[in-house]
Amino acid sequence: MNVKGMEKLRTLFAQEAEQRLARLGQLLMQLEQSDLVDVSELIGEIFREVHTLKGAAAVVGFETVGRYAHQVEERLGELRSGTAAPTRTIVDALLGATDRLGLMIWQAVDGDDSVDDGSESLARLEAAFGATDVPGPVADEELQPDAVGPHPEPAAESQGPAPTAIPAPVPAAPVESAASVAPVAPVVPVEPLKSVAPVEPVAPRRARSNSTREGSGTVMVPVERLDELVRMVGEAAAAHLRVGRILTQRLGLEPASLSEFSELSRVLNELQEGAMRTRMVPVATITDQLHRAVRDAARSLDKDVRWEVRGEGTELDRGVLNQLSDALLHVVRNAVDHGIESAAERIAAGKPAQATIRLHAMQLGSEVIIAVTDDGDGIDLDRVRDKATRLGIDTAGLGDDEVTQLIFRSGFSTASFVSDISGRGVGLDAVRASVEAARGRVEIRSTRGVGSEFRIVVPITLAVLRCLLVEAGGQRFALPLHRVALARAEDATGELHAEGRRMLSVDGTPIPVSDLASVLGGESSRTGPGTFVVVNGTVSRHAFLVDELVGQRDVVVKGLSALLPRLDVVAGASVEPDGSILVVLDPPGLIERSRRTGSRSFAEVTVAARPTQRSGRLLVVDDALTVRELQRTILERAGFAVRVATDGVEALEMMNEELPDLVLTDVEMPRMDGFTLTEQIRSRPLLANVAVLILTSLATDADRRRGMEAGADGYMVKSSFDEQTLLGAVDRLLGVPV
Amino acid sequence: MSDTEIATRLDVVIVPIGNDFYAVPTSSVREVVADLQTTRLPTAPDVFLGVFNLRGEVVPLFDTAALLGIGHLRDAGIAVVVATPSGPAGLVASGLPTVEVLDQPLGPSEMRATTGSFAVRGGVAVLIDLDELLEGTAVQR
Repeated sequence: MNVKGMEKLRTLFAQEAEQRLARLGQLLMQLEQSDLVDVSELIGEIFREVHTLKGAAAVVGFETVGRYAHQVEERLGELRSGTAAPTRTIVDALLGATDRLGLMIWQAVDGDDSVDDGSESLARLEAAFGATDVPGPVADEELQPDAVGPHPEPAAESQGPAPTAIPAPVPAAPVESAASVAPVAPVVPVEPLKSVAPVEPVAPRRARSNSTREGSGTVMVPVERLDELVRMVGEAAAAHLRVGRILTQRLGLEPASLSEFSELSRVLNELQEGAMRTRMVPVATITDQLHRAVRDAARSLDKDVRWEVRGEGTELDRGVLNQLSDALLHVVRNAVDHGIESAAERIAAGKPAQATIRLHAMQLGSEVIIAVTDDGDGIDLDRVRDKATRLGIDTAGLGDDEVTQLIFRSGFSTASFVSDISGRGVGLDAVRASVEAARGRVEIRSTRGVGSEFRIVVPITLAVLRCLLVEAGGQRFALPLHRVALARAEDATGELHAEGRRMLSVDGTPIPVSDLASVLGGESSRTGPGTFVVVNGTVSRHAFLVDELVGQRDVVVKGLSALLPRLDVVAGASVEPDGSILVVLDPPGLIERSRRTGSRSFAEVTVAARPTQRSGRLLVVDDALTVRELQRTILERAGFAVRVATDGVEALEMMNEELPDLVLTDVEMPRMDGFTLTEQIRSRPLLANVAVLILTSLATDADRRRGMEAGADGYMVKSSFDEQTLLGAVDRLLGVPV
Repeated sequence: MSDTEIATRLDVVIVPIGNDFYAVPTSSVREVVADLQTTRLPTAPDVFLGVFNLRGEVVPLFDTAALLGIGHLRDAGIAVVVATPSGPAGLVASGLPTVEVLDQPLGPSEMRATTGSFAVRGGVAVLIDLDELLEGTAVQR
């Protein structure tokens, strides 16, 4: 074979090996977690995987790899023949050997087959096997001395490195002659697992395995090629539309009347959707890696954890999944490290000694929810409150739920929160950051003594979404159908008036009504009666009055450009077959916006009834509900239109929607504090004219100076503020003559 | 004319905005689009005129005058599509852009996101700094 042919073959081998090694890892972890009394079938499959790898390595001339695989195979023979039992120590060593084999293969592909003969790893394997001569089920680990511990010598010395086991009959293999080459090393002290980053060894494989899926009928395709395909299909569709226009303009033909043209349109549409779907991958592509992380973390912390996955077939955009994998790794390690108690503590608490961490993925309309649940101890809210108080966060007005979310705050990790496992210096704020980068959100629910659930909700950016098309204010919009409860013609039936607004009675429950066009900042172009569309939010329902129902259709939702600010009411956009753009609305965002704009109009009504009122748009930013509401009440009563935000990030988002005249901000807040918010406002030309008043409990001169340096126009200490001083300060900053 | 005459000539696209001319380096310009069909994005700030379809890509369209802080421009259906690290962006123009070479600096410019004024076709064109122009349009998250 020529050099090029061999190169190709080796690359092919590397790809095959990658799949086999992944399978091997799965099988070993199954072996460890297996409840089966008879694991011989599993061991048989593990043996075959290694054996096949050995043979293939020899064919492509990777001798070192072949020799190494042979040694591993020999040890597996002991398991197969029953002369050794698969203890955790042995599974540890075999997993380590699998990782080593992966690294050696990539080294060999890269041209240095001889760099590492894996002798150190083999010694570890020998030691693990040497420490085991009592056959027994996996769970009997306690009976075995831990050969992977810091001092494995005594156990190994007493039994010698070469166990009495006779290697199982090995089918004739191309590298058989190499068997004696592998050193039967004396015991090498092995580093304790704890000091090793738990999943690092698998990283090189992971980087190369994203586009691969095992199974028949699967072709591995570089992702760039798929992206290119999607782009070209898009161009073909656009060119097709231009041809249609030319037919009309130059030849006076109606394109839709030509069956060939219509057929081409249909095929192009299908092609476009199909191409989009090729970029979707199942969650299963990352679950092995997570399982391994859980397993390794549990081993090094001496905890007994069972890993369960549901919904691993749930598909989402590859980019989104990649974005999430680090966040999920962090979450599962965090669960093992901080969530799960020691076996003794669990038994004392009346729980089973073995803990469970479960990953459950599911698609819900245009979103994928990945929930990681553990049955550990839950979050200690008192400790979170203590830490918050030390950081200067006022938790008095916060409910348990809000306090729980504080753990996502940057800098919230404490020494007792941080360990080798979940990553020193990297807190849960990093998890939130990477989830938000995928345009998703993360929530946590926790019950002390019962467990915690991290819920990551991300959009499937390229998903095909069934939508209800409506028209409002002269523009067509799509509403994701899974959020639509019902549509009803606008007539007098079921209409109510309550709480100063229009309501619709649905199944006996009053539901608030808003005009969709006005919620979206436009005006309704309706002349006759419209249609109510009732949509489900995350917690409530809301009816939107639209001009017309247009129909329902599958649309390919695209995320919006990163140059655009996040718009709560918009889920994405879709390019229509005629080349126009259809805006896909986000019902929960719509409901939230109607609630906000609704309360503002109510405030304006109140204002109008009072003489000698002030006017101006204010934005109150404070994470403490009571302070926020107190300021809002005072300022609204004085005649200002007031909106509220709970932190700097939300404030900036709201400012992008509508510019306020003045921002009143607290300093200590989650996600973005008041100083940073002030600096951000000053650094953005579009916001530069907005006045900023800092209201805080930080009373030192240094704090005041810090506020002024950040660019605030005023600084007020909370303890000294009452209605008159607050209004006085606001009036001064807005230039209102008092 | 300034004493510090630049040695290199800069290829630019001259974009008419109101009564003024602004220059964008040709290296940053992907294309010029006319007969643009823009879709309004509800609740977006004024500086965004909407989005348009560029061969299957959904591209945001900016009010160039608002970005420069000199008022507002109507969507006249003409845009210069520039490449940014966050993807393409459309900058709306009042008329059809032309291609020129800048070689005669007249001096500095005072407006935000600009880096100097130059003589073109008997008039003046102000050179735009694209990074600064589009900085802060999206909330950093």
